[in-house]
Amino acid sequence: MSLALIAALPFLGALLPGLMIRSGRNAAAGFAAFFNFMALLGIALHTPAVLRGEVILAQFDWLPSLGLNANFRLDGLGLLFAGLILGIGLLINFYARAYLSKSDPAGQFYTYLMLFQGAMLGIVLSDNILLLLVFWEMTSLSSFLLIGYWKHLPEGRQGARMALAVTGAGGLAMIGGMLILGNIAGSYDLSVILTQKAAIQASDWYLPALILILLGAFTKSAQFPFHFWLPHAMAAPTPVSAYLHSATMVKAGLFLMARMWPVLAGTPEWFWIVATTGLVTMIMAAKIALFKNDLKALLAFSTVSHLGLITMLLGFGTKAAAMAAVFHIINHATFKAALFMTAGIVDHEAHTRDITRLGGLRTLMPITFGIASIATLSMAGLPPLNGFLSKEMMLEEASHTLWLTPWAMGALATIGALFSVAYSFRLLGHTFFGPVRDDYPHTPHDPGFGLWGAPALLTVLVVVIGLAPMTAAAWLVDAATSAVTGEPVHAHIKLWHGLEPLALWMSVFAVGGGLVLFGLHRPLLALWDRTPRPDAKRIFDGIIEPFAALSRGLTGALHDGALTRYMAIGVLAIVALGGYAFVSGAHLPGTRAMTRIDIVPASGWILLLCATIGVIVAHRNRFVALVMLGVVGLIVSVGFAYLSAPDLALTQISVEVVTIVLLLLALNFLPKATPRESSTPRRLRDGAIAGVAGLGAGGLIYALMMRDFAFPSIAGFHLANAKTGGGGTNVVNVILVDFRGYDTFGEIIVLGIAALVIFALTEAILRGGPANDRLLNWTPRASQSGDRHPVMMVVATRMIFPIFVMVGVFIFLRGHNLPGGGFVAGLIVAIALVLQYMASGFAWAAARQKLEYHAMIGFGVLIAAATGAGSWLAGRPFMTTNYTYIHLPPLEEFELATAALFDLGVFLTVLGAVLLALSSISRIATRAGEQSNAEPLDLVLGKEEAR
Amino acid sequence: MELLVASAVGMMTAAGVYLILRQRTFPVIVGLAFLSYAVNVFIFASGRLAVDLPPILSKTAPGYADPLTQALVLTAIVISFGMTAVIVMMSLGAYLESGDDRIDMTDTDDTDYPGKDA
Amino acid sequence: MMSHWIIVPVVLPAVVGALIVLIMRHDLVLQRVFALATGLATAAIAGGLLWSASVHPAEAYFLGNWPAPFGIVLVLDRLSAMMVALTVALWLAVQLYAIGSNWDSRGRHFHALMLFQLMGLCGAFLTGDAFNLFVFFEVLLIASYGLMIHDGGRDRLRAGVQYIAYNLVGSTLFLFALASIYAVTGTLNMADLAVKVAILPEGDVALIRVAGVLLMLVFAIKGALVPLHFWLPATYSLAPGPVAALFAVMTKVGAYAIIRTCTLIFPPATPATGTLFADLLLPAALVTLTLGAIGVIGAKTLSRLVAFAVIASMGTLFIAISRFDPQSTAAALYYLVHSTLAGAALFLIADLVSDRRAHDRLTESLPPIARSGLIATLFFGAAVAIAGMPPLSGFLGKLLILDATRGALLPLIWTVVLATSLITIVGFSRAGSVLFWKAHASTGEPAETKDEPLAVAAVILLLAALAAMTVAAGPIMAYLGGTAAQLYDPAGYIAANALQGAN
Repeated sequence: MSLALIAALPFLGALLPGLMIRSGRNAAAGFAAFFNFMALLGIALHTPAVLRGEVILAQFDWLPSLGLNANFRLDGLGLLFAGLILGIGLLINFYARAYLSKSDPAGQFYTYLMLFQGAMLGIVLSDNILLLLVFWEMTSLSSFLLIGYWKHLPEGRQGARMALAVTGAGGLAMIGGMLILGNIAGSYDLSVILTQKAAIQASDWYLPALILILLGAFTKSAQFPFHFWLPHAMAAPTPVSAYLHSATMVKAGLFLMARMWPVLAGTPEWFWIVATTGLVTMIMAAKIALFKNDLKALLAFSTVSHLGLITMLLGFGTKAAAMAAVFHIINHATFKAALFMTAGIVDHEAHTRDITRLGGLRTLMPITFGIASIATLSMAGLPPLNGFLSKEMMLEEASHTLWLTPWAMGALATIGALFSVAYSFRLLGHTFFGPVRDDYPHTPHDPGFGLWGAPALLTVLVVVIGLAPMTAAAWLVDAATSAVTGEPVHAHIKLWHGLEPLALWMSVFAVGGGLVLFGLHRPLLALWDRTPRPDAKRIFDGIIEPFAALSRGLTGALHDGALTRYMAIGVLAIVALGGYAFVSGAHLPGTRAMTRIDIVPASGWILLLCATIGVIVAHRNRFVALVMLGVVGLIVSVGFAYLSAPDLALTQISVEVVTIVLLLLALNFLPKATPRESSTPRRLRDGAIAGVAGLGAGGLIYALMMRDFAFPSIAGFHLANAKTGGGGTNVVNVILVDFRGYDTFGEIIVLGIAALVIFALTEAILRGGPANDRLLNWTPRASQSGDRHPVMMVVATRMIFPIFVMVGVFIFLRGHNLPGGGFVAGLIVAIALVLQYMASGFAWAAARQKLEYHAMIGFGVLIAAATGAGSWLAGRPFMTTNYTYIHLPPLEEFELATAALFDLGVFLTVLGAVLLALSSISRIATRAGEQSNAEPLDLVLGKEEAR
Repeated sequence: MELLVASAVGMMTAAGVYLILRQRTFPVIVGLAFLSYAVNVFIFASGRLAVDLPPILSKTAPGYADPLTQALVLTAIVISFGMTAVIVMMSLGAYLESGDDRIDMTDTDDTDYPGKDA
Repeated sequence: MMSHWIIVPVVLPAVVGALIVLIMRHDLVLQRVFALATGLATAAIAGGLLWSASVHPAEAYFLGNWPAPFGIVLVLDRLSAMMVALTVALWLAVQLYAIGSNWDSRGRHFHALMLFQLMGLCGAFLTGDAFNLFVFFEVLLIASYGLMIHDGGRDRLRAGVQYIAYNLVGSTLFLFALASIYAVTGTLNMADLAVKVAILPEGDVALIRVAGVLLMLVFAIKGALVPLHFWLPATYSLAPGPVAALFAVMTKVGAYAIIRTCTLIFPPATPATGTLFADLLLPAALVTLTLGAIGVIGAKTLSRLVAFAVIASMGTLFIAISRFDPQSTAAALYYLVHSTLAGAALFLIADLVSDRRAHDRLTESLPPIARSGLIATLFFGAAVAIAGMPPLSGFLGKLLILDATRGALLPLIWTVVLATSLITIVGFSRAGSVLFWKAHASTGEPAETKDEPLAVAAVILLLAALAAMTVAAGPIMAYLGGTAAQLYDPAGYIAANALQGAN
């Protein structure tokens, strides 16, 4: 079976429980178990080859450009871990089926469990370290989900987040380390990296890589000082604790160190960092375990301690130590998983895990007791159980490892062993021995086979490996160790080495001392409770919560919705960067001759200055500001006219009118005055910002105007081809409808959208809600009301209306040759209608114009688009124009270009847009109670209404 | 002449910037109008200045002003007109909805935060 | 032979949009049908363009049949084709969601505005003319104004006013920049600009630098780069869910424009500007990423959290862009597509949640929402994606970006990227734990069930796209590698314009 398929099986197993979340426990468990078993079978089929020393490979390209490939390998080490993951996984599956209550969503549980299994299996089968990273982070995620499985428990939620934060952080550090490693080795494939020891250890980047990778390993394997998350992860359902937090996930760190052992180990840095961390972790955790009353907490710290032990062994960097490490990985997995399951059984039966409330279970649950005692004694390292064997090997290695002094390592290792004996006896003694009590939360009995079957099987292994290590385990240890060290290794594991070895006496001392500690437990506990200790969770929260609070403060303060500040910052940034760009580059002042100034522009300039200052000074009185604004617009358009831009002048002036009308109508409903809010310093600040911005803009255009184009402008082409190619003498108009007609197409669509937006907005306002209520009880100010439709104006506007329209048509037609065109024409006709509205009231005007504004817009855009697309028929690109000349009196001869048709689209869109916008405002006005006189003879009636 | 135009652009830009830094929607809108005047003249001037040389082809014309920048300004005028119309109506709507024409919003979130004893 | 297909993604939505306004403005069903059909047709065309761009060199389309640089050209190359395809795909998903959740019926002209928005986006990606880029920026902006305030409401309208005001300043700046560029070079065609800026006389250097910086600042506003990002949180968090989701591509318009101009017109090799933009971009990007991540953990509502996640992703994106070498740019493009889809998915999920909750504050936990399990799963997936955790494309994107980073700044960049990832992860785990886990602890009746299969399907589609991006990362990176190569060898782009000498 291909390794890729094996790696995929658990994920497939996660599928059905995930999809059929309500399929009962049996279905979910059975389905998951099947895929779990198939994967195990697949590994089993490869076992003989692996034991022969072969390395099974399966390689697929995934992301070659990055060097991330779906390459899988199976060697001794992989075999060991895959066996653990899948074998124990199967037992857990079986155990959890009985453990979960009917109320627990089984589908979710098995989905998460299989997701984790797949991720974990992926780690140990990866031949590509980037692929390994993928699976690595996935174990963090799936364990997050599993720890938080009981959503209603705060411990579960917090434990899950803590585990994710710590292991996730480690994983991120590891990403850095792996990338460095890959760059040194020139490949991310393990099979290459493992051959690069010399290059890697010689590189300057070795230490950074080592530290970053170890951060990943230590956080995952709960090494000091990152151990604190593991006890909190015990909020997870016990099957999860047994699987992830004793047998598999927490061993991922160990796996990684073993995997990288050939290239990273053997240096002083490695020895000091890894061995020391392991040693400290082992002793510290063992000591804490002694004083834990929660069965699972005790087991958790014991796990941390044993992980430390294995880490330390890997840190030694010798083959023998590596072998001891591998062997202890196997043994620890067997007895610790069994112990977690028994703890689960006790919890399940007695409804408590608190040792102080237990005791005397020996007689009540004999089977559980049997299982627990064997596993515990193995944990304590007593012969003839497997825990004894690997502990002996550990002590042996420690005893002749030079660390600070020749004896320090041995002594400290013995102390660690001593503590573990002590807490093991405590676990056994205070839970199972002693008198039967009558105050259990629930009277315990031995559970069904479903619960004790799995741990029982593991304890059998504990005994078998203990009695016959060579037959039961040596082959696996050999294969794994050879894979770790990269050279064939042969283990000679014996229960009895005679009386000579120091290790024997060390463990005798450990057992004796452990018994003494156990005897002194009560006073020691009292002492322990009195000594103050740092609480990991409080420290963790002490980091996270202030940081979160800080982030909240910062985020809130920066993004508090104060647009004025946003704008100020923006403008300053723009001016500053623009200025920087200018001073950091070479500039030659321009040499163009300055255009002569005569009286007209000079006086216009002064007028502009006055108007501008006027707006600034009087901007609080909004009507005045508006009038001044109109003046500015007027001067600008006159200026355009003076500087040979008649089209601009015409457009500017007509836009000006419509804009001012719009603003006036809007101002009708807005406050008439702006309160004086900003303090003087604030105004000075704004003034300064405005000043530099003004200087920037003015200076820039001055510098630009005084220089010539660096290259001939493309406008030359437009002048040369407007008549011959575009068929018009008004080059600006030809550019608008021909050379750059596509811009105009976009431009009228902008106008159309603007009208649609305004319409939709009005609908939303009038739909009801606060705005609508405000309008309904609106009180028009007496000062401005009065005669709303002065007769003179009504008459005048109605008489000039046709003239306006004529002018519009005229301007439209001549546009291609003389100033004018669809846009201006549209505006002029719009203004004519606006005048009607202002004079006679909207409803009257609306009742008299049959066209629907929406239709006008849509139609205009369609005409424009159709004109453009028409050229496709001629096989030409969009908007290719064509024209012929037409003479129809009294107008001078003009040519009918397809461009003119396009201009018609512009005309309609503009007209429709402007009118739709204004009609929207007027609808607001109507809602606000402005009576509109809809009758034909409204001149009179209007008056009567007014009375 | 160039000096006048440049200083006019500067003037209108400054006025616009000052006004968009005010705290009510109306002055901000007026400020934006100022900015669009300023930039229109800026674009126009980027084609260099010319007096009495309208870009309307004729046998007699000694030369022409840059027609392209004029076309660009026309497009700019139209677009900014649409934009102004929208923002005017939108600020009107905002005022009617909230009874307040301040342009700054105050963060209405409460002081509590995620993850607290979650 | 010139293919007219290039312009269809612009014209087709415009025409259908106009038709909807003209004849179907009162019939929502017809609008839905036509809008979706148009989207599908455009998607098909976009697919064709993508294929064509991947096998042919850059191709220009001369509007009005005028030669470049005198008329306006559209240019189809691998980058523009890819952006159009991405836009249409996202647009379709959002449309589906808007229909499925009935968002489109809560106000007027939703579909017309969506179509014009699509037109504006496609136009901006396809154009080869600087001023035309401005015009289409305005088209997509004004459509976005309308969509942003769709369905009205006090806060939304006020945020809308801010959004418009800020962007109007941006548009004005755009015009200042364009006018300056024209005043120096006398041209607006991008290819022509590339040619002329490269050989600019000494005396104009300072001016073109100013013009270039102003232009970059305009794009930085769109791309929400600190300190020009302030408009984003309120806008995105107060916009209707589907609209916010569509806006995920609007920030990318800024990113696209910077990539385009900085590789075509102002490449680092150009003496006039040199590394000016790279030098300014990197620090801003680092700060943006940091502020965004801090916002993720500091946000008080779900929608604001997502908004800050988008800011953070823009920071990451701009870090990669600021390197301006083919490998980093390819990585950036992969991350661009990923972050667009992931951000959109998150906004839609946030909308699903807040639609079923009394409020979307992350402060007090409410009873479990309807379909809690399903929505929680979707949220988890999207969060994993945006936080850059495996197995989704975000992780690959970050790996690609980190792997492409070289040089003295490597430690700084890696530290910022990895540390902010952690902050983001913590922020999302806290939020998710309140929304979906703590809910089960709180007493009270769960909200009434509300089935919106189409809406949920839209979200699933987006997540599926992310999964596909992960699985097919190899071929995708092959295409993007080619794209980057094309960008750093502008000769093809310029040649496609067949520039004529000015007369």
